[in-house]
Amino acid sequence: MPVKWVLYWQPNQGTTVSTQILNEATQCVESINGVKEGRWKATLNYYKPMLRDQSNHPDLPRDFLGISLADQPSKYYFVIRSQRIVVEADASIQLIMEKLQSYKSKVSLYFDGFQYQLGDFRVRVGRVVPVHSESVRGIVMEVEYLPISSMEKSRKVMEEFVEIWHEALSKRSLSGKFVNIELNFGEFGLADTYTPQHTGVQYAIVMAHMIATVQPARG
Amino acid sequence: MECVVQGIIETQHVEALEILLQGLCGVQRERLRVHELTLKSIPNLGVVSSEVRLLCDLDQQPEPTWTVKHVGGAMRGAGADQISVMVRTMIESKVSKNALRMFYSLGYKLDHELLKVGFAFHFQRNAHISVSVSSVNKMPKIHAIDEAVPVTPGMQIVVVTAPATPENYGEVAAAVSSFCEFLAPLVHLSKPFISMGVVPTAAAAAASLMSDGGGTTL
Repeated sequence: MPVKWVLYWQPNQGTTVSTQILNEATQCVESINGVKEGRWKATLNYYKPMLRDQSNHPDLPRDFLGISLADQPSKYYFVIRSQRIVVEADASIQLIMEKLQSYKSKVSLYFDGFQYQLGDFRVRVGRVVPVHSESVRGIVMEVEYLPISSMEKSRKVMEEFVEIWHEALSKRSLSGKFVNIELNFGEFGLADTYTPQHTGVQYAIVMAHMIATVQPARG
Repeated sequence: MECVVQGIIETQHVEALEILLQGLCGVQRERLRVHELTLKSIPNLGVVSSEVRLLCDLDQQPEPTWTVKHVGGAMRGAGADQISVMVRTMIESKVSKNALRMFYSLGYKLDHELLKVGFAFHFQRNAHISVSVSSVNKMPKIHAIDEAVPVTPGMQIVVVTAPATPENYGEVAAAVSSFCEFLAPLVHLSKPFISMGVVPTAAAAAASLMSDGGGTTL
């Protein structure tokens, strides 16, 4: 599977994120000859333990989430960031979780936007929106380098692409930048060869950073 | 959802049963070596207490594969009583190897574990039917599969299952029932938890199968 980096939009101090950023980013991709391939969508669910006795709090994870990825429609990915756990499962695992009734999805977010082909790269840019809401929680960008599956071997070319991207976007005078988070995938038991589980981990970390640093704003 | 029946057979008759199944199913048998872990939720977790099974297929190459399985309650009522197989909800999902660690983190504890060793046939006969014949083994120490010993020495369990939907479970149940009649000379198959014991004439049936390799009509 090709290596993928997941970046997120970090607004400057005192500014918020909006759909305008997404519009600027997609126009920027098109301005550097990105060929639009269509829409893409992913879903992320935060799970909370269901406790019969609310006054008794066993030590259970507060960062248990599940992700459905656009390019793996028959799979589902669980991440417990604090425990450095990532699990790939069939999509039917969601039915099992419903039957168990031990955890319920309390917050769900959509990632949706457009996908582009840019030479040997595939780029997706999308907004992060809570389900049943119009408020944009953030902007994410996936950059995939199609010829290579090795994280190490692709590092240089990915860094160069991100630099070109930053340069192209800087001409639009936006109040912020796309950030790539350096991750130690080894801590999650993942190897150098890229897999969808790597994507799951990246989304979990991106969301944690986004929640900590990005103020939500309406459309 | 699945239709399921099970029964017990003496180990000395398993070879004869294999010959019979080989003739009936028309497919190659597959080795079965599955480590089954049953996990239960800790007190206070969940609307109700819950149980989930993790199955590790030890025979897969290059490394064992894992499946999570949730078995629900059986269909009840007058309609269910008239069906000779158990119809129950069942959901499976393949998972990566970290699943056990994940469930431990989520507040599930190991309730018990078993090692099932034997063989299985998977074939199509008006339904997608699976027959497994295995010894059920327990472990003296946690996860010590190499030290597993039979729970009931000299006896093995036969399980026949077929996936079903709310729309077709009647036909699937009929297909399973009909197939089980062919196995009646060697093993009584019935709803789980309703044991019919061994077939008293199994020895004669087995001898007949072994003597001519399954050519005799029982």
